[in-house]
Amino acid sequence: MDFSLNEDQRMFVKMFEDFCANEVAPLAQETDHKEKPPLKQLEAASEQGFLGAIFPEKYDGAELDMISYALLMEHLGKACASTALTINVHVALVGSAILRHGTEEQKEELLPAMSAGEVIGAFALSESGAGSDAAALRTSAVCQGDRYILRGSKTWVTNAGIGQLLLVFARTSDEPGGKGISAFLVDVDTPGVRVGYREKTMGLRGLVANTVYFDGTEVPADRLLGQEGQGFAIALEALDLSRVGLSAICLGAAEAALENGTRFAVEHEQFGGPIALKQAIQNFIADSRAEVEAMRHLVHYAAWLAEQGDSRLRTQAAITKLICSEYAMRIANRMLQVHGGYGYMKEYAIERIYRDLRAMEIAEGTSQILRFLIARDQFAPHGISLRP
Amino acid sequence: MDFTLPKEYELLRRMIRDFARQEVAPLAKRIDIEEEVPREIIRKAAELGMMGVPFPQEYGGMGAGELGYCILMEEIGRVCTSTATVIGAHTGIGAMAIYLDGTPEQKKKYLTPLARGEKIAAFALTEANAGSDAAAIRTRAVRDGDDFILTGSKMFITNGPIADIVSVMAVTDPSLGPRGGITAFIVEMDWKGCSVGKVEDKMGIRGSGTSELVFDEVRVPKENILGQFGAGFVTFMKTLDVGRVSLGAACLGGAQAALERSIQWAKARSQFGKAIVHNQSIQWMIANMATEIEALRSLVYRTAWMVDTGQPFTRYAAMCKLYGSEVASRCISQAVQIYGALGYSRDLEIERMFRDARIAEIFEGTNEIQRIVIASDIMRQEGVRISP
Amino acid sequence: MRIAVAVKQILDPEGITVNRRRERIFINREERIINPADKCALEAALRLKDAHGAEVIALSLGRPSADDALREALALGADQAVLISDKALAGIDAPTAAVVLARAIERLAPCDLVLVGQTAADTGGDQTAGRLAELLGLPQVLHAVTLSLDGERLKVVRLWDGRPIMVAVAPPALIAVSPLAPPARYPHGARILNAYRQMGVSVWTAGDLGFTAEELRPNIESRGQVFPPERELGNVIEGAPEQMAGEILALLRQRRLI
Ligand SMILES: Cc1cc2nc3c(=O)[nH]c(=O)nc-3n(C[C@H](O)[C@H](O)[C@H](O)COP(=O)(O)OP(=O)(O)OC[C@H]3O[C@@H](n4cnc5c(N)ncnc54)[C@H](O)[C@@H]3O)c2cc1C
Ligand SMILES: Cc1cc2nc3c(=O)[nH]c(=O)nc-3n(C[C@H](O)[C@H](O)[C@H](O)COP(=O)(O)OP(=O)(O)OC[C@H]3O[C@@H](n4cnc5c(N)ncnc54)[C@H](O)[C@@H]3O)c2cc1C
Repeated sequence: MDFSLNEDQRMFVKMFEDFCANEVAPLAQETDHKEKPPLKQLEAASEQGFLGAIFPEKYDGAELDMISYALLMEHLGKACASTALTINVHVALVGSAILRHGTEEQKEELLPAMSAGEVIGAFALSESGAGSDAAALRTSAVCQGDRYILRGSKTWVTNAGIGQLLLVFARTSDEPGGKGISAFLVDVDTPGVRVGYREKTMGLRGLVANTVYFDGTEVPADRLLGQEGQGFAIALEALDLSRVGLSAICLGAAEAALENGTRFAVEHEQFGGPIALKQAIQNFIADSRAEVEAMRHLVHYAAWLAEQGDSRLRTQAAITKLICSEYAMRIANRMLQVHGGYGYMKEYAIERIYRDLRAMEIAEGTSQILRFLIARDQFAPHGISLRP
Repeated sequence: MDFTLPKEYELLRRMIRDFARQEVAPLAKRIDIEEEVPREIIRKAAELGMMGVPFPQEYGGMGAGELGYCILMEEIGRVCTSTATVIGAHTGIGAMAIYLDGTPEQKKKYLTPLARGEKIAAFALTEANAGSDAAAIRTRAVRDGDDFILTGSKMFITNGPIADIVSVMAVTDPSLGPRGGITAFIVEMDWKGCSVGKVEDKMGIRGSGTSELVFDEVRVPKENILGQFGAGFVTFMKTLDVGRVSLGAACLGGAQAALERSIQWAKARSQFGKAIVHNQSIQWMIANMATEIEALRSLVYRTAWMVDTGQPFTRYAAMCKLYGSEVASRCISQAVQIYGALGYSRDLEIERMFRDARIAEIFEGTNEIQRIVIASDIMRQEGVRISP
Repeated sequence: MRIAVAVKQILDPEGITVNRRRERIFINREERIINPADKCALEAALRLKDAHGAEVIALSLGRPSADDALREALALGADQAVLISDKALAGIDAPTAAVVLARAIERLAPCDLVLVGQTAADTGGDQTAGRLAELLGLPQVLHAVTLSLDGERLKVVRLWDGRPIMVAVAPPALIAVSPLAPPARYPHGARILNAYRQMGVSVWTAGDLGFTAEELRPNIESRGQVFPPERELGNVIEGAPEQMAGEILALLRQRRLI
């Protein structure tokens, strides 16, 4: 067992730190307050190869290992969760799916463009009637000769409004549940695709999440990702990876919160000294620090499992995301409290971090669904197979 | 022991609830977006006596005591925290200080128009370096013949931008400290030297203006000393004590609203082929919310009864504020969770309620300060003095 | 001007659910309110009072809890309140209730106007107005939405098949106010408290009104409840007139109605 980062990883950390400090952090407040899509940040990230972070070099990717990817997400999350999540969807949800299941033509066409930031990926799974129960989706894809006709609508499609590529999950047969679902790579500009309402969110206001409509959209058959009927499995696999990324974002945001809280506690005086001298504040800081360290180990462990291609990742990713999203929210809540009245003011980063983090217990599997997955895994060897 | 609400209060609650639902609730979203509680609402509320609920009828109040005032705050808190905050800062602390310690002349001159809602009050204690440590204020009032010259600036003052009459705490003798050196004054904002400084941009309660108030050599006649000369600290502490009960009531309303919405949505939303309420995860949230709300309701109304019957209530008022703010935050966070992604959307009021709720853990004395108040009160009876 | 307003206290219909399948009525929440149409009638009276000055007397026949309805009327602005309540009056039917109310109103005489709600949201009988007017010998205007005084005459906008028309009537008269009339104002909080703390409600018994037990014996006997049959959604028949007539004939024959 070795807990240290290797030479490369240490170098990457340095690079991520500089990048985030120069290109991301300074724009974070503006991104949130003006609800600006993080286009500048994406451009800068593409120059560093971060938009192809885990793609092999032959697709112009940075070929980061998963630990390094988690470190990247941690640093981005620390600087600006909106930017981090945008990139995580692009790389870990969409890119990884293409990388694993795409044909060589699909990879050659899409991955380099994604690395370069010419194409930003969006993941279109949820529908108004299918959130936690994603397998209940109703968008249909009917095969007609050499093409599929897509009909239906998707909600909360992050990146749809700024991206070029939609990874769409649609029903190709009437088989119940996940079995009849297939994945398609759909260009946003295809006739019959309409990107609609942009969600107005509590936090993560740089995120561009839209409703997308498919009104008889014709998709050539070579745009099917993987096999027919394999779509749901592809989605779940992609979610495993992106949950690791999302957990790392939570870790980063929690660290940012802790740093802000610590600094405030040191600099801000009440009752004749810094509030850091009060035990209530110390406890807030201590609990948060302890939780940050726990999160870090969970994230690294999950990333390591992902790197090994270990099947235990499925449950471990759920565990990691459950813990990290809940801890991060808790930490932000405490650190906001440390700020007193200042924490409620938009001038202070903690105000944004608090709003941003509230999404993490919902997106990419709610805490309740994650608990269900973990319990199902725990009971399975005992002959109990749980259904939601 | 008899827990029934007197009939007149039942009718009062019904009237206020109708008013809140019909006149305030439809505007709550606009109030948040436009960052203002319309004067029209305040005018209508004033016509029904709602701007002076706890004050005697002889001073233009409703004469409904703390009980009536808690009912008001609960019902308004249920539909719009911004409006509750405007009324709370006006009645619960701004005018309350004059009611508690004002002379009959001061009450006639100031409390009467305030109770009638013809004028708006604010309560100005906090300064940049004096938040929790209120005794550290630096605003000075220097004697000049029969007058005082008031100089300094107050921060985070609710109703600052709209207040006509402000209860201000200032240092009259720096050598004496909080016991003897601080005096409360009634200041009219249209006096020369009074101005409104920076208006804060906040996470929530955006309809309730929070600003700096600047006093630049304001001439205050000695008739406007509020309470005993040198005993301003006592006046303010006493005022805040009362204010905390009704703040707990406003939190109760917010929590109750969160529960009601959660119940509605849990019935209406289906996933996995059934209404989500059929999952124990959801049932537990609802049961926990309902239990905490009942405990809070008992605490708040019992404390109101203690206020109205002249019993010592400092400890219990702190508990109302502490427990109330935490219950409200918890309940509303659970409501966000039950709504899933929709809970994170600004299209629904849950999102606003979540941002609004967070303030109650901070203002009118942070929850840490409430714990200090409670522990001190308990330990004082054990002969132990606790310093903050 | 002296205005008597009859105010009935009913169970809040919002707290009641009707289960058609099991033919049962469930009372989920027992909250008593002023019958909505009566509250509109009270508001109409108060508006006349605001405009021209008037003495408004709220009158309620009911159980002791109707005291709350009368306090609310006082809070809204009524000057006096009378509760007619007596064990002997429990369970009286609508015709008898009208007789009791009529005698109470005579006792309040002289009243220039008698206002009642058009319909009670609980029983939905729609009888009181007509019966009272007859018993008191007053002209009546039903379904009123607004009242205004024009010299000696009262101008009333009333609904006729859902459309407003204006009628004029010379007091004394009885007006039945529609639940669609302007809703009541909010009572001032202080008046709510004072309605309980300072103002009084006179209580009249059957004896006070000179009734004997014989007079109060119900004319109507209740033998139980039945639910009306559930109505099916109608069909819309479209087409040319002859064609539609043909279809209707066919339908009626099919159902053996002709
Ligand atoms: C910021 C953000 C970005 C998003 N981005 C994307 C995206 O890019 N692509 C995409 O496809 N989707 C996206 N989503 C949607 C997200 O995946 C869904 O919101 C999520 O899956 C939950 O679904 P829902 O909102 O419909 O909630 P619901 O499924 O309706 O859940 C409502 C509540 O019921 C609970 N619940 C449901 N079923 C059960 C059960 N069996 N047991 C116990 N509790 C249960 C849930 O935990 C929740 O508390 C995004 C959401 C957010 C907030
Ligand atoms: C929206 C809003 C409206 C407001 N309205 C008003 C108003 O109308 N009038 C008014 O006078 N003020 C008002 N305030 C100010 C409010 O009362 C203060 O923000 C509050 O008292 C906390 O002070 P502070 O912000 O300076 O935080 P600080 O006092 O600096 O506190 C920072 C942190 O240290 C903790 N802390 C401080 N001392 C101790 C201790 N001894 N032991 C343990 N922990 C401690 C606090 O709990 C907090 O977590 C308002 C504030 C806000 C945000």
